[in-house]
Amino acid sequence: MTVAPTPVNLQKDGTERLVIEWNDGHRSVYAWKHLRDNCPCASCREERGKPADPFRILKPNELVALAPVALQPVGRYAYKITWSDGHDTGIFTLENLRELCQCDECRSR
Amino acid sequence: MHPHGGTPSKINLPGIKNVIAVASGKGGVGKSTVAANLALALKAQGFRVGLMDADIYGPSVPMMMGVPGTVDQAETPFPLERYGVKLMSIGFIVPPTQAVIWRGPMVDRAVRQFLGDINWGELDHLVIDLPPGTGDAQLTLTQNAPLSGAVIVTTPQDVALLDARKGLEMFRQVRVPVLGIVENMSYFIAPDGQRHEIFRHGGGQKLAAAAGVPFLGEIPIDPRVAECGDNGEPIVSKYPDSPVAKAYAALAKTVEEQLKKHAQTELPGLQL
Repeated sequence: MTVAPTPVNLQKDGTERLVIEWNDGHRSVYAWKHLRDNCPCASCREERGKPADPFRILKPNELVALAPVALQPVGRYAYKITWSDGHDTGIFTLENLRELCQCDECRSR
Repeated sequence: MHPHGGTPSKINLPGIKNVIAVASGKGGVGKSTVAANLALALKAQGFRVGLMDADIYGPSVPMMMGVPGTVDQAETPFPLERYGVKLMSIGFIVPPTQAVIWRGPMVDRAVRQFLGDINWGELDHLVIDLPPGTGDAQLTLTQNAPLSGAVIVTTPQDVALLDARKGLEMFRQVRVPVLGIVENMSYFIAPDGQRHEIFRHGGGQKLAAAAGVPFLGEIPIDPRVAECGDNGEPIVSKYPDSPVAKAYAALAKTVEEQLKKHAQTELPGLQL
C-alpha cells in the first residue's frame, strides 16, 4: 500500500475553497462543493450509484447553499467535515483527499 | 477497505506519554499474555505502566492479573493496581459468568470510558490489550486515541500470519506506527535441552521482513506461562529469571527503542 504524504497546513481560500499544503511540497485546492459531491460516507456513495431521479423534489435544506461548519482530524489518517445541513458522516482519508485534489497539475492528469 | 463509521471525538490523555496497542488479527495467539507480560516487563524497567483491557467480549486481564471477580467501585475506585501496574477491564464490572452481548456503539462507549474517564494519573506507558480482528474497539482507538504505536502478536504458522497481516494493514491505513511483530509460542526447549518448533518457525520474522517493520523477537513456549496466567500472576512477575521472562524484558527494551523512533505529530486542524 502506498502511503500518501501528510498535510502540514490547512487554510481557507475565501468561502468557496479549502487549501491543503502537504509535506512533499504539493499544494492541493478543493472547492467545498467538490468535497461534498465526493463525500465518502456509505449513504452518499450509495446515492451516487443510483440513476438520477427526474421527479425528485428538493427538500428545504437543499435549496440553501451548503457550507462546511467544522473540519476536524480523525486520528492521524483522515479529516471529518461537518456540513451546514448537519451531514457529518464522511471521513476523508488523506489518500482520498490527495486523489480529490483539484489543482491544475492534478486536473491535467 | 478504508476504515469507516463512528462519530469521532478525540480523547486527550495528557498524563500518558505512550499508548501502546497490542493487537493481532487472529484470536488465541497469546495477545493478552503478551500484553500483561509486556506491561510487567516495562514496569520492571522502572516505568510507570497501565494495562487496559479493550477486549469487551472476552476480557482476560482480570484473571491474568489476579483479580478474579467484580470490584465494588465505591470501595476500590478504578483503575485497580496489581504488581505495580494500573489496570482496567470490563471484567471488573461484569461477573465472569455473564456474557457481554453488545452491539458496536456500546463497545465504542466502553472503550472511550476506560480510556478517557478513568483517572490513570501520570504514566510512561499505557498498554492496551485489543480484541482480535479489526472491529469496533480498534476503530474507536485508532480514530480517537493518541496511539503511539502497535505491537502485532502472531504465532509462527501461516494461518496466524494471514490474519496478522490484516491487523498490520489496518494500522498502516490509519497511520498508527507498527512498532513491530512479536512471534509468540515460537519454540519449546525440552528438558533434554533440545529445541522443538511445534507450530513451525520463522513466520513472524518473514512477515516483518515482507511488511518492512521490525521483528521484535520470539517468545518461547513454557507451560508455566499458562499456569501463571490462570493463577493470576504473569510469568514475568512469578519467574523473572525464566527464559520467557527474559524474552519479555528484551521485548520491552525493543518496544521502548521503537517508540523513540516513532515520535508522532498530530494532523493540523482548521477553524472554520
